[in-house]
Amino acid sequence: MTLMDNRIHFASAPVSLSRRRFVQGLAAAAATGLTIQFRLAEGQPVPDLPAMIKRNPNLNAWVRIAPDGAVTVFTGRVEIGQGCLTAMLQIAAEELDVAPGRITLVSGDTAQTPDEGVTSGSFSMKLGGTALGHACADARGTLVRAAAEAWKVDASTLKVEDGSIIGPSGARMHYGEAASRVSLTRPVDPAARRKPASSQRIIGSSYPRVDIPAKVFGQPVFIHDLRPEGMLFGAIARPPAYAARVVSVDLAPIKAMPGVVEVVRDGSFLGVIARREEQARAAAEKLAAAARWDVGPALFAGKGVFEHLLNAPAEVKVIHETRGGALDVVSIRHKAEYRRAFQAHASIGASCALAQCADGKLTVWSHTQGPFSLRAHLAKALRTPEVSIRVIHAQGAGCYGHNGADDVALDAALLARAVAGRPVRVQWSHEEEMAWEPWGSAMIVRLEAGVAGDGRLTAWNHDVWSFPHSTRPGPSGGMEGCNLRSAWYLAEPLKASKPRDGALPNGAAGRNAVPIYAAASQRVTTHFLAEMPIRTSALRTLGGFFNAVSAEMFLDELAAMSGHDPVSFRLKNVRDERLVAVLSKAVEMSGWTPTPVSAGRKLAREMLGMGVGLSRYKNQDSYVAVVAEVSVDTASGAVRVLRMWSATDTGRSINPDGVINQIEGGMVQAASWTLLESGRFDVGIMKAVDYADYPIIDFTGSPKIQSALIDRPEMPPLGAGEGSQAPAGAAIANAIFAATGRRITEIPFTRERVLAALQA
Amino acid sequence: MTELFVNGRKVRVEVPPGTRLIYVLRNDLALNGPKLGCARGQCGACTIHLDGIAARSCQISIEAVQGRSITTLEGLGTPDRPHPVQAAFIAEQALQCGYCTNGMIMQAAALIAAKPSPSEAEVSAMMNANLCRCGCQPRVVRAVMKAAGRTL
Repeated sequence: MTLMDNRIHFASAPVSLSRRRFVQGLAAAAATGLTIQFRLAEGQPVPDLPAMIKRNPNLNAWVRIAPDGAVTVFTGRVEIGQGCLTAMLQIAAEELDVAPGRITLVSGDTAQTPDEGVTSGSFSMKLGGTALGHACADARGTLVRAAAEAWKVDASTLKVEDGSIIGPSGARMHYGEAASRVSLTRPVDPAARRKPASSQRIIGSSYPRVDIPAKVFGQPVFIHDLRPEGMLFGAIARPPAYAARVVSVDLAPIKAMPGVVEVVRDGSFLGVIARREEQARAAAEKLAAAARWDVGPALFAGKGVFEHLLNAPAEVKVIHETRGGALDVVSIRHKAEYRRAFQAHASIGASCALAQCADGKLTVWSHTQGPFSLRAHLAKALRTPEVSIRVIHAQGAGCYGHNGADDVALDAALLARAVAGRPVRVQWSHEEEMAWEPWGSAMIVRLEAGVAGDGRLTAWNHDVWSFPHSTRPGPSGGMEGCNLRSAWYLAEPLKASKPRDGALPNGAAGRNAVPIYAAASQRVTTHFLAEMPIRTSALRTLGGFFNAVSAEMFLDELAAMSGHDPVSFRLKNVRDERLVAVLSKAVEMSGWTPTPVSAGRKLAREMLGMGVGLSRYKNQDSYVAVVAEVSVDTASGAVRVLRMWSATDTGRSINPDGVINQIEGGMVQAASWTLLESGRFDVGIMKAVDYADYPIIDFTGSPKIQSALIDRPEMPPLGAGEGSQAPAGAAIANAIFAATGRRITEIPFTRERVLAALQA
Repeated sequence: MTELFVNGRKVRVEVPPGTRLIYVLRNDLALNGPKLGCARGQCGACTIHLDGIAARSCQISIEAVQGRSITTLEGLGTPDRPHPVQAAFIAEQALQCGYCTNGMIMQAAALIAAKPSPSEAEVSAMMNANLCRCGCQPRVVRAVMKAAGRTL
């Protein structure tokens, strides 16, 4: 097939690695003699298998050794700019004792890789990496035992150098030969043991990202770069409002436009296929304008979203409760309400997909985070069996959650069906992405707490109002309905799956709503609005960012009211040593001497302030503390984040520089969310569709950042990709509070809101 | 038939009048460096050099580049002979998803050519209209300063 052997092979081709110093490092490690694994003796309890291996139990689903010794490893996880594939290669190279450059990594292909669900929630290292590492350790142990048996020696006397097993008398057997003596086509052995952290050389090193050189030299990397023979371009004619449906449309004038090959109408789904990309876009625009639309009812009945959140029917659930302290026998009792606007993923490159229908099969190249889930929902929308569809991951621009990636795959498939045999590539326009992707939910948090005379929290109540945070396509055989947008507009429309809130411990609307502070009496209540007039879904951290930011803002208000500085008040109320460690480290790095915040202080033209945010992502992942320094121009209301310091404990970090890149990127993104971003909509649709109307942070707005990593090599890896947003947003909010003595309660902290708070 | 001068070579393309350069570079000439971003000149992902000056290829029609020298990321440097900015981006790992990277490198290369020893504040100011959603601005600044032979 031309698509597979021509230009597209890189989607699942070897990730080429040739970093001499790491090969040297590996050789040096091998020369010192690496630990050989033993099987557990009979009678010892068998350890539990990693969750992803339970889901994909066969060893050859994870690792394969060719007769010539070539090593291929498989991961269901995908690269979304977070460095996932580099980390996976490090893990495989470490456990197999093979140079990373000799390992072929296949990622996210429904025809080849394990089904690991969705690459999200900072789970890739914790779940996917743990599974791959276990499988590779099993493979290595098995191959070494095969050599030991052949040479009739004790396996513990053997070592491995770059895929060759070395015997006591210098005999060598490469992995290919050893693999011919055993079968890797069997379930993964639960008793396989990974190397202890003390003998790891590649895991824990800042191995350079394997995808960066290609991105720096303009080599084909993205779906956008796929150009199979005969490819056509598609574009979708979008309705003027989410609820709009086509009343009538004349396709003939559009068909006559330059370059147009086909015009597709299926109910209210309207698309164009053309020879040139700009021709497809121009024709789609004209088609949308030419159609007569029934625009449907107004969003939120024409009212504001916050009024809607508080008044529309909601599922109310107490998701966490402990009893002990009382709210009424305290020295301080305080209540507050905070709000956050709709916020977007706002990827720099709009969503893109390539689809081809040939010989009754559909192949889709997609930057989806869940190739198997996408396949399941494509099958529903196209009313075709899943086995007739193959989804292959290829990279897109960073997504930061559920953007248009899955939706555009259906768009491309619907168009490709109309020109059987011809591949069709669809890249949404930026405006289309902004208007039609799922947004991060607007939210309201109300907090109430009591503080005893000694400064300890006694009670803490957290209520959160929110739309759904996860409306991704679900797994095969999962919920009813189809979560690919265009399926709702077909002549025989499908309904979206009924949204559910994610339960603790991860939580969705209630993510990070459980306090990290030791109030004896705690209650967390979610008010979940399943109906979403503006479609919402996962934006990096789901509800975690706003819940934790709200709690941290509230905590600083309690500190100020009780005469404490923000740091000593936290230390009084935190019990987790790892939280204390990151907090102390970030404060130390910043050189900050915290003092109690004085509310309503006198304002000069420019006010400087420092603040802190502390969080443990999902209450079970990485620990991050951030200190921020801001300046507030009290005449204009403009806030500048000058500097930020972060301290992170992510357990064992597979790639420390990768972790820092994620942590610092998250801090900059959080600064953008906190200060700038708000989705403006009218009665029918999102209107904040370009960077002028939905600005994101720029260079001069970005702070200087200094970061520290507290490595804990003996601890399991914790997700890092979403750890820093909440503490960063909270640190900025609290620095403004410290600078001015005033609290701005609605995110983003626009100039108008800052000014209003200062003048109140 | 339109003749263009791209990365030191003459190439001929047959495209409708008024076609934006980004589509010609990507889809007719199969160049991957310039990326289609906002298509409004707001994000900078499509940046190229036009006679050595950074320009947004989504805003330029094919007619406007007649007789002018176009350089894309591919023409800036290669793995064997990287431009100092490309080498610095690798050394500093100055990206995450890499979609904006083309524009960052092309903008920075033009900046350094015009002002070989910029201050950190000048780098920020000159890069300001290139957007990065992954939040790699601090790393990009570091890489540009490194390419200019300055350390922070």
